[in-house]
Amino acid sequence: MNMEKGSNVRQKQAFYGFAMFFLLCAIAMTAVYSVSIGQVSIPFQQSMQIVLHTITNGHLGSLDQVESDSYTNIIMQVRMPRVVFALLIGMGLSLCGVVMQAIVQNPLADPYILGISSGGSLGATFAILVGFGSGTVLSQFGVAFGAFAGAMATSILVLVLSSIGGKVTSIKLVLSGVVIGALCSSLSSLIIFFANDAEGIKSVTFWTMGSLASSSWSKVPIMAIIVLAGCFLFLFQHRVLNTMLLGDESAITLGINLSVFRKLYMIIAALITGTMVAYSGMIGFVGLIIPHICRGLFGSDHKHLMPASLLLGGLFLMWADVLSRVLVENVELPIGILTSVIGSPLFIYMIVKKGYNFGG
Amino acid sequence: MQLIVESLETKLGKKEIVKNISLLVENQKFVGVVGPNGCGKSTMLKSIYKSLPPHKGTVVLGDIDVLKTSQKKISQKLGVVGQFNEMHFDLTVEQMVLLGRTPHKKLLEVDNQVDIDIVENALRQTNLLDYKDRSYLSLSGGEKQRTILARTIAQQPQFMILDEPTNHLDIRYQLEILQCVKKLNIGVLAALHDLDTAAQYCDYLYAMKDGRIYTSGTPEEVLTPETISELYQIKCETYKNPITNQLGFVYQI
Repeated sequence: MNMEKGSNVRQKQAFYGFAMFFLLCAIAMTAVYSVSIGQVSIPFQQSMQIVLHTITNGHLGSLDQVESDSYTNIIMQVRMPRVVFALLIGMGLSLCGVVMQAIVQNPLADPYILGISSGGSLGATFAILVGFGSGTVLSQFGVAFGAFAGAMATSILVLVLSSIGGKVTSIKLVLSGVVIGALCSSLSSLIIFFANDAEGIKSVTFWTMGSLASSSWSKVPIMAIIVLAGCFLFLFQHRVLNTMLLGDESAITLGINLSVFRKLYMIIAALITGTMVAYSGMIGFVGLIIPHICRGLFGSDHKHLMPASLLLGGLFLMWADVLSRVLVENVELPIGILTSVIGSPLFIYMIVKKGYNFGG
Repeated sequence: MQLIVESLETKLGKKEIVKNISLLVENQKFVGVVGPNGCGKSTMLKSIYKSLPPHKGTVVLGDIDVLKTSQKKISQKLGVVGQFNEMHFDLTVEQMVLLGRTPHKKLLEVDNQVDIDIVENALRQTNLLDYKDRSYLSLSGGEKQRTILARTIAQQPQFMILDEPTNHLDIRYQLEILQCVKKLNIGVLAALHDLDTAAQYCDYLYAMKDGRIYTSGTPEEVLTPETISELYQIKCETYKNPITNQLGFVYQI
């Protein structure tokens, strides 16, 4: 009887290890496949050689078979940063999803739940339609800054609002998020209502659908530092995150004051989300669905849930990006549309097939 | 480990819930708190383990001044089994019990074989070994409460506070839980709603009414028809149960 159980545990660990290995391989393969796709079609074989050659600094792979010199440029300068961006943002979104769900002890939470989306949208809308003083000089930076500032401002506001009266509880957080979110949305609508700028309104709408089109190597470092530092930090927070699932009362009896950790985690998650929103707009669904899929597969223990969510989130967004580029010829679909279109059936399948009950 | 509570006062908002309560739990004694709903039992217990910090008073557990010590330090010595609480996410029974090791771990420390053995032991004591891989949310009320008890045992506390731990549980589960706690042989302070159980398990009893200690003593001294009538506003007769030789109660409105 006991041996049976031991082997059961081992089986589970083996399954988890295999799944992690598979995800890593899949991410590497997807990266190479993804850079071979686009307006200029570059054969998979050649793109693999180019990637290998560049990454290993010429030790592996050769450029002999590559038909055009511009291929290397297209792959390494145009497509690669985008793939890296997709990976980072996918990781970041599911990271913040897992953290937010733990913070508010609610399976419905996603990275945007605490008003960050509406705040970011308000900032972006303001930047696009009103601008920061200089009027016509609306560079991409202006929108990114507006979105980031809006997202951070709302999160701070939500945090302050939910701190009133002492403890920061999950219910207060969610309610404050909803209230501040509603306020920001109506302010955005107000700006749009008074703006006599059809082109600008279109940009705002596109912005809310999310896009990786603006990715470039120059933006990768900030993104990478913030997302990877966040991942690194939270990979080691599984103990506190697990305790969060138990609620305030039980956590206190285990020596952990959730109120403090909630604030801390929320600030970090808001920083990561704000940065992602600034660079890629709103990409919905990833932060909600990836944590649930991983819970269904590996359970709610954050020690396993966190790494799995990071990898699956990255992989998921890479594929969403590939599809957004190939589904309609010569048109790049907003990635936010794709994440929901692929995500929903996956989710429905899980509910039907596995009897998954949304964490609870 | 003994617990000394002196002149404890707790307010919820402006309302005073716990009024100047002092009590003592001697080493390895099972001490009960009885009283009607809303008399402040839970609030008092929460004040003792600092979930609701009291406004006045001192709480000393062994050589620790509880109100001035970090929550982590306290939780290494003091375990709490609270009233039934709901969760929105699922963990396996083993993962749940493993969380009991939290107070003994540094933030980045991983669970080692010692922790796993302690958890295994706690599961054995609560008859949950076969439930190890079961999902917590799929358990029945009694099994859930036993899991929480196992988690508290894995915490290896030297003192335990129980807040109506057998609420909503069937008779067998009630007995199992209390039996298990009694066997730990550590100091226990328990709020109990069932007087028969209180009479059966407690070495000493405090009766609470309107946020104050109404009376205290051994179960025989406290659980008299007069006191019970006064506490719960009912008519009550006590008798010696001919089978168990323990106190029995008959109530009437």
